[in-house]
Amino acid sequence: MTALRTARVLAGLLAGASLALLSVPAVPASKDVATALRQYEQHRYAEAARSLRDHIPADGQNAQAWLALGMIYLKNAELHAELAAVAVDVQIDYLKKLAARKGAGRSRAVDLYLGEALRDAGRPREAATHIARFRARPKQDAGLAALAPVSLGLAQYQSRNTAAARATWAGVTSKAPEVRAALAAAYAISGHNAKQAVALADDAAAARANPGARMVKDLIAVYSRNGRIDKALELADGADLRAPSHVEGAGSGRVIHFYDLALLGELARLYAVAGLAALERAAGDAAIKPTADYYLARGHAALGELDRAQAAAERFLAVPDAPARFRDLARIHQAGLTHRRGDTRGAMTVWQEYAGRGEPELLAEVIAACTGAGADCGAFLTRAAAAADAGQGRKFAPLNVAIGRAHLARKDYAKALAYLEAGRDKSKKNKIEGNDPVMLVGLAEAYYRTKQYSENLEIYFEMSKQFPAVRQIQEAMQGIYAVEHKSAGDVKIF
Amino acid sequence: MKRITATILLSLAVSATALAAPKNDGRPDGGSLSYGEYGRPATLDPITSNEMVSLRITELVFNGLVGIDEKQEIAPELAERWDASADGRVYTFYLRKDVKWHARDGEDPRPFTADDVIFTYNIMMHPRTISPLKVRYEFIDKAEKLDDYSVRFTLKRPILNALAKFTFKVIPKHGPSNPLYLTREDPFVQNPIGTGPFILRNVTADREIILAANEDYFKGRPHIDKFAAKPFADQNIMTQAMMFNAIDMIVLVNPRDIPEIQGDKRFILQPYNALSYSFFGYNLRNPLLADKRVRQAFAYAVNRQEMLDSFFNSQGTIISGPFAPGSWAYNLDVQPLPFDPRKAQDLLKEAGFTPGADGVMQKGGKKLALTLKVPIEKESEAVKRVVLAFQNYLKNVGVQVKVEFKEWQAWKEDVFAEHDFDAIFASWVFDDSADISSLFHSAEIGAWKNNFGGYSSPEIDSLIVESKLTLDHEKRRTINRKLHAMLAEEAPYTFLWTLTNYSAYHKKVRRVAIHPYKFFSFADEWFIPESEQR
Repeated sequence: MTALRTARVLAGLLAGASLALLSVPAVPASKDVATALRQYEQHRYAEAARSLRDHIPADGQNAQAWLALGMIYLKNAELHAELAAVAVDVQIDYLKKLAARKGAGRSRAVDLYLGEALRDAGRPREAATHIARFRARPKQDAGLAALAPVSLGLAQYQSRNTAAARATWAGVTSKAPEVRAALAAAYAISGHNAKQAVALADDAAAARANPGARMVKDLIAVYSRNGRIDKALELADGADLRAPSHVEGAGSGRVIHFYDLALLGELARLYAVAGLAALERAAGDAAIKPTADYYLARGHAALGELDRAQAAAERFLAVPDAPARFRDLARIHQAGLTHRRGDTRGAMTVWQEYAGRGEPELLAEVIAACTGAGADCGAFLTRAAAAADAGQGRKFAPLNVAIGRAHLARKDYAKALAYLEAGRDKSKKNKIEGNDPVMLVGLAEAYYRTKQYSENLEIYFEMSKQFPAVRQIQEAMQGIYAVEHKSAGDVKIF
Repeated sequence: MKRITATILLSLAVSATALAAPKNDGRPDGGSLSYGEYGRPATLDPITSNEMVSLRITELVFNGLVGIDEKQEIAPELAERWDASADGRVYTFYLRKDVKWHARDGEDPRPFTADDVIFTYNIMMHPRTISPLKVRYEFIDKAEKLDDYSVRFTLKRPILNALAKFTFKVIPKHGPSNPLYLTREDPFVQNPIGTGPFILRNVTADREIILAANEDYFKGRPHIDKFAAKPFADQNIMTQAMMFNAIDMIVLVNPRDIPEIQGDKRFILQPYNALSYSFFGYNLRNPLLADKRVRQAFAYAVNRQEMLDSFFNSQGTIISGPFAPGSWAYNLDVQPLPFDPRKAQDLLKEAGFTPGADGVMQKGGKKLALTLKVPIEKESEAVKRVVLAFQNYLKNVGVQVKVEFKEWQAWKEDVFAEHDFDAIFASWVFDDSADISSLFHSAEIGAWKNNFGGYSSPEIDSLIVESKLTLDHEKRRTINRKLHAMLAEEAPYTFLWTLTNYSAYHKKVRRVAIHPYKFFSFADEWFIPESEQR
């Protein structure tokens, strides 16, 4: 599964408010854990994870810290998965506008990047066409030209033309570290020559002290799929995630920044895997295990590991004194697994039971789980909308957000906008401390779809201070807005 | 019209079916809406004004040849369709035949024709007309009447988004008393007539502007009977007025009041992204301010984040240059200068200043003492605190600032006509074309022009011109990124922040869509249920 497809599943399954703190009564939290959890509540995931990782004792006995770290990574995975899912359409929209230009002023690199974006969006045949077009043009940038066959091979692999993919990769002769890293990532993703992937990546990493954005993405892809999570996290932490993958026309009158769409998906995957690994370590402590299982169920489900998710959910639900609220949430999301295994009636029965209780928080979770599982949520949405429209106060904010996100999934952007706005804390408009960044990403998407680009850009402007990888969305959105805006050039004093 | 064979039909939309009739959309007519405004507009016509309060009024009173619909697409208005030549240089507009000008007292309404379009273009471009619009329409070579209901514009060269430029508001040939050019003394600028959904009825002694529904509006009568714009000198009073039902809408909520309004179920808070920012602007005609190191020192001396947090509840974003963060032109790589008073003092010393006995920096026997002029309409508590904080921050690095609050019209005359100031505190609001040419191009220095500070740089001029000439969107982005970086470095302003934009209105007003810049573009569709009309 590509990082992006993983990201899309992650985005659906981790969605909702239930990654809230589950209290751990056995042992009081250490100062470091308390600090990290405070940062987590403020949605400053990178800071929280970094400060906690730096303080976990080497003997690995601090189960609370591992639990907190697992929660933080899972939430960061959810966010990056959302970003990756949004970035697909934004990037393709932007790159298509660039590619539409004819004549001498046409970008040279656009076909490669558009091809890669289409490939990451699950459209490998279109991708191959664009990559082939890039390769056919003379005098391309030598670095990109060397990378192009690796990209083409991945598109062929995704088109299930494995033989062609192998042949294409076999023809790659460049020894440049960037190309070797890209080949390693292709092997890791496809499973072809998977055993060589890590060694190739290690060689490439050793040869390049300061890898560029594309190489970082490729190395993360290799290491996160091969158990080298710390190495991958180290790369992600050390990289400038704002940096473009390629700059065309540097020093000239027209400079275009190209980004790797897959970076966001790889980060989402990395954080999910890191979260699961941390939770497994936390589960080694009997007192923490039930809590860890609760989150493991969500994390495994997000990565499509349904059996493991089911097993973890069952272990949690078997604990007699598990907090009632979390038991309810676990059952609601377990029903999502049930639905994904084909038992729609079983899932609906559970969701109807909880929706019938009339509690806005549970209704929000039902909507989130149902939407994430791709089920028909129409009846729940009607009930939820009635409750949200009649409700008042911040208590109903999560319900409004869940309804908004459901409408987003249904591509009803006007309704999505109305409900997400209703759920937004307006006194902290774009601040991630006041509004869940996952909600803000949804809201930004609704604004993008309704062509209110400046609202979208303002959201990402604030978010970029904490999550630098959103730069690629900002740049693409600016590019779309520059073409799409229709104004006379007016300015007024106020 | 033989040229038509070589044209591309760009758009052919909406036939003129809504002939001066109710909208027949099932929504009720009636009711009135009072909205709170920030001060009183100097003029009410679309040509001489350069302020937001007037812009909102003119949006209710006038129409352009084309408009922007709720989907942000170009839509027919006074022109029912148009053609563009293949080379992008010739635009022909075919006008509606069912449009009437608002009637003046005792007169019958006159029909709108091609003569009005040509008249508007000519008067807008007349050298003696005081208008910030002129610079925007210099790309037009000529405007011609083809017949009573068609006009042709020939451009000097093709430009990006040309059609959007024809959103300029058309005024009647029989409107201004002087048929050649328009000045602020012409009675028309205080008592205009248009073709729009609302007719200006009167301006009360309290400067409240009353508008009534245009029964003959060509898109169908607007639903709401009456609009009233009420000026407020203080933002806090405006919010309280809405809380006590004295007004129904606030066009821009004071950021400090957002939590209070959000907590009241009677009202809806609606974000709209007017691309705006606040700044301290400097008069570069003052030799003390001509050195960019002095202006940079001011930027280092003020703690913008502290001001934003303390006076606006953190409801905004610090900016680094001449574009708003929500704009496509903002250079994301340019970071705002940090608060660093020591660096500020170092820069002043580098520029040749030394502290005098009284602690005030001086050079060549001249004290670094400035007059900061602020319009009195901005005399809200928050703004007072901002300017006093500015005074203190600069005092800390040896700069003396005297704050003068001036009545809005007097302030505009001092700043835009007389250039009698050292520094101002103000805000610009942009539409989304990110056009800063009128602010920083040297050709825009002069009476009633927007480059009030007299900033002049051949390099900036050249980039601005290049940005206007290019037909390549990415090149234009690149140029704007350069402009952002260079103007951040040049510091003709101390760029401050963009504040959160929310409108608030009573729930009784339905189907409210807000144009992010012009605000009232869709107000003819708003309605109030009969049970809630008063």
